[in-house]
Amino acid sequence: MKILQAARAKVCCAALMAAGIFAAAGPVLAHHSFTMFDMTKRVTLAGTVTSFEWTNPHSYIEIDVPDEKGTVKHYSIEMGSPSILMQSGWKFSSLHAGDKITLIMNPMKSGQNGGFLSTATLPDGKVLSNGPRQEPPPAPAPK
Amino acid sequence: MKLKMLRCAALLPVTLAMVRAQPASQPPDLTGVWGIYRGGPGSDPKFAAPAPGPIVLKPEYDKPYQEKRARESAAAQRGEQLDSSGARCIPYGVPSMMAIAIYPVEIIQTSKQVTIISEAFSEVRRVYLDRPQWKIEDVAPGYYGRSVGHWEGDTLVVDTVGIKPAASGYRGIPHSPQMRVTERIAKLSPDILHDQITIDDPVVLEKPVTYTVAYKRMPADYEMVEFVCDNNREYVDEKGIVRLKLHDK
Repeated sequence: MKILQAARAKVCCAALMAAGIFAAAGPVLAHHSFTMFDMTKRVTLAGTVTSFEWTNPHSYIEIDVPDEKGTVKHYSIEMGSPSILMQSGWKFSSLHAGDKITLIMNPMKSGQNGGFLSTATLPDGKVLSNGPRQEPPPAPAPK
Repeated sequence: MKLKMLRCAALLPVTLAMVRAQPASQPPDLTGVWGIYRGGPGSDPKFAAPAPGPIVLKPEYDKPYQEKRARESAAAQRGEQLDSSGARCIPYGVPSMMAIAIYPVEIIQTSKQVTIISEAFSEVRRVYLDRPQWKIEDVAPGYYGRSVGHWEGDTLVVDTVGIKPAASGYRGIPHSPQMRVTERIAKLSPDILHDQITIDDPVVLEKPVTYTVAYKRMPADYEMVEFVCDNNREYVDEKGIVRLKLHDK
């Protein structure tokens, strides 16, 4: 697993924004809460997309991530729904199997190989977030 | 000349009938796609939804409700979410479907029917404008119940009964088959719409609960997005905790 940065940081504003958008707040409901993800942590993964699922209730990036020794681990990265993703510039064809990308995600609290997308850097260099009308947050400073 | 007069006289009742068929004033047209207006920085406070009213349950419903909230809160502290219909991709129904996260609703209005479609879960409800409401016991319980509406000035007043108790309640409050939902839907400006929702349930509530959902018109070229829950990876384990299916490959 090639984890470029794993920062238990100050609570990330982008993560909070995402939580605010997706989590239940007042009369506003969502598909599920985000308690299974650690929204205070951000982990960067660099790897190869094995599939991009443009589906409801959530879209997913399936990605193989090699570590320094070349051992590959597979991750499932949950995203918003297509409707929400379209509002931050995603398209059903934004990613394809074989694309090499870097992404930042909030990891599963359970430690399993999964997380909730924060931002993804596409092969063309475009950075897309996981929420509507959000500017991508600045990349975290390397540790 | 006489023939002409006769023809005119023959046409008169038809013309009068046509005039009578036109209401004195047309109701406002609510047709359009409306996104949730959340207020916050840069928003106009006069268009924000007013604060919701208090929820007061009857004691026999309040105790289990508070216990459920406490269990949910404790689970959240552990990083877990308890079973919910949303996580199972079961539609929300009336009235919760009127405000799901940031998903818009589309309103299609004709003289006899107002149809409301929520983008989330592709939920559809129909409000009949030309017929009376039935008795609650005559409506087959469902997620959307039976809605009828009428215009009070520029406000569409919608009455809904027949919501099954399994449908998600506002803020998770329980509801009985006796629940009645009254909505007052009106435009505050050409591009701002409010739906004031009042839930009355004489079995569960001490007094009706009222809250308002504020909407802003989406851009004219917005096209509603399909939402079919065919890749729900959340599942509920044997302990009633929502888990996420992860793929190995």
